[in-house]
Amino acid sequence: MKNLSNRILLLSLVFVLVLAGVASAKVVEVEFWHSMTGSRLEVFKKVVAGFNEINPEQQILPVLVGTYEEGLARFLAAYPVKQEPGIIGVYEVGTQAMHDSGMIIPAYQIPGMLGQEWDFGQYIRPIVSYYSKDGNLWSWPFASSTAMIYYNADHLRQAGLDPDKPPTTWDEMHEYGLKLLEAGVVKNALSFGWPDWMLENQLALHDLEYANAGNGRLGYPTEVSWPNEFTDKLMTKWSEMAKDKVWIYGGAEYNANGAFQTGELTFLMQSTSSLDGILKTVGDKFEVRTTFLPRLNNDYPRGSSLIGGNSLYVSNQVSKEELEVIFEFFKYLSRTEVDVFWHQNTGYFPSTNAAVQALMNSGWFKDSPNHLTAFLQILSGKTDSDASAGMRMGVFAQAREWARDAIEKISRGEDQRAAMEYSAQQIKKLLEEYNEFIN
Amino acid sequence: MDRFPNHRFLPYALVLPSITVIAIFLIYPFGQAIYQSFHRINPIRRQLVNVGWRNYLEMFRSPEYLYSFRNTFIFAVLVIGLGLIISLCIALLTTQNIRGSGFYQVAFVWTYAMSPIIAGVMWSLIFDPSIGLMTNLIGNLTGYWINFFNDTVAAFILVTVASIWVMLGYNIVFFIAGLQNVPYELKEAASIDGATTWQVFWVVTFPMLSPTVAFLVFVNTVYAFFQSFGLVDVVTMGGPNRSTEFLIYKIYKDGFGRMQEGQAAAQSVVLFIIIAIVGAVQIYTSTKSAVYDR
Repeated sequence: MKNLSNRILLLSLVFVLVLAGVASAKVVEVEFWHSMTGSRLEVFKKVVAGFNEINPEQQILPVLVGTYEEGLARFLAAYPVKQEPGIIGVYEVGTQAMHDSGMIIPAYQIPGMLGQEWDFGQYIRPIVSYYSKDGNLWSWPFASSTAMIYYNADHLRQAGLDPDKPPTTWDEMHEYGLKLLEAGVVKNALSFGWPDWMLENQLALHDLEYANAGNGRLGYPTEVSWPNEFTDKLMTKWSEMAKDKVWIYGGAEYNANGAFQTGELTFLMQSTSSLDGILKTVGDKFEVRTTFLPRLNNDYPRGSSLIGGNSLYVSNQVSKEELEVIFEFFKYLSRTEVDVFWHQNTGYFPSTNAAVQALMNSGWFKDSPNHLTAFLQILSGKTDSDASAGMRMGVFAQAREWARDAIEKISRGEDQRAAMEYSAQQIKKLLEEYNEFIN
Repeated sequence: MDRFPNHRFLPYALVLPSITVIAIFLIYPFGQAIYQSFHRINPIRRQLVNVGWRNYLEMFRSPEYLYSFRNTFIFAVLVIGLGLIISLCIALLTTQNIRGSGFYQVAFVWTYAMSPIIAGVMWSLIFDPSIGLMTNLIGNLTGYWINFFNDTVAAFILVTVASIWVMLGYNIVFFIAGLQNVPYELKEAASIDGATTWQVFWVVTFPMLSPTVAFLVFVNTVYAFFQSFGLVDVVTMGGPNRSTEFLIYKIYKDGFGRMQEGQAAAQSVVLFIIIAIVGAVQIYTSTKSAVYDR
């Protein structure tokens, strides 16, 4: 008897499992590899969960794959063995590599492949121009940011400076810093994350190209444009500021944020994606304000700061069912309420025109002017030149590392020209090898 | 074969599972690394181009590799040398006949329970250039403000000290165990014969500790060359200016970050040879000189 009841139990278990299997067979699940960490991760998870609730048969499975660098390397290695995800969020540095890879479906082709239409005109221009090739969008806009200045308004008041007039040029930054140090408000006035990206931003801000071949947008670049007269001036300024202890080198990524949040620094140059993290951590301790990046002087034309963050690529090995889920997910991301939520909780740009309008109508930018700063900076700049639209390089990640290498040396007081030249030579070698491979 | 009569294949069947695991996870990837080390791999289109010995030749001509090589050896010598001396001293002190020696033993040993990642975060916060406790203390006392984000020497020292600290607990446990195994009668006999404390240590205690020392030298070598990865990744990410980019970290960076898989494979083959030689020499000399008989 006992044996029989056990058997029935087992059989029913098998039956249930089989049923569950049949039921789940209809569910199409697409992996989404991302590199969202910190306070952004929670917001990101909510956005994905929101999509998964809509239709239980279309599921997006977010997988954190480490840093952007690691995520990209994993994707490239996983593709040949068909282990890659349907969607991957790649940082702006990987743009050229993804375009050259032959592993992706360009974003603009996705609606057509499913027999649908989609209006790409709804996205914010600077984002579209950054990620476009020959006028077509190749990756889906998602988490776009740029760099700006965060500053501690209380510190400026304490030093007798006007918080309504933050520095607009590097000379002013230097001058303000010295005053803050003299007044004993801080030990160091300025620090920044992503020093290599800051150099890129400075070049673009002055409408100067980073690399030849039309900033890598007209062909494969063979060398970087620096050191040049502009970087000579800028790097000399940076080394003077380091010598005067106005600028303290703050590490490769987000290390300097901590010092700013605890009131040890007055100015922080950082990605806008840090905005909500900083506002939440600082709370009422002091008044956080933001402004545009400083310029060298007005002898140079005006360009724009650069788009950073990540955009979404789709593997060209996905099935039609998977592609449908992916497109539904992308449409969901472009919904006004989702885009608004994403922007309000991370500091990334709203990516559609409708979301910007909704934010404006609801008085968001008036209530939180810090969320408007970067947006104004990027919209008021020029983004139609090769220099200001952002550079393309297959070996971008290594180029960045070499740029950082030079800036680290400069921050220690080494000769700026020699440091920049050495790094430029290393990049040249890498570009040569990349071009050899591609052609 | 006579040991297992009538079971000719049983021994092979029994070792098969572990052989399979070793073959899949160790031997096959190792062969793969050797194969890749003679190729340049285009990460974008996954083509393999045979380049012969070029990866190896360029590696030894590359200033970055030689710099990493030099720093790794200085790091290893410091971690092994200083690490063992400090932990032996602490172990000696905590095994003395003092009140609360048990408490001290636990207090020094528990740090080993901490993951290198947590230890790394802790050390980098203590020495943060703006908000670090030690940075401010040292800066206010001496006027020298440490910034390990751009000071290559400071970063190197920080990583070295933190690595030694992480390994202290482990070393101390083994030294304490070794010291407790030294028979008290021997030490007593020596001192009755007129040996000073110093002589007792060098002539009686230390030789009896030599198997422990030999073992720890080997474990610490492996630690310095391979397991320092986690700490470096958290504290400096190899920077500034690659001053803490030790060989193992460089392999990771080149292979996964800089997309130079062929070059990274060549480096890992070289690192394997280095460790094999160092390990063999250590085992040879320590088995020769260590006193195992009691």
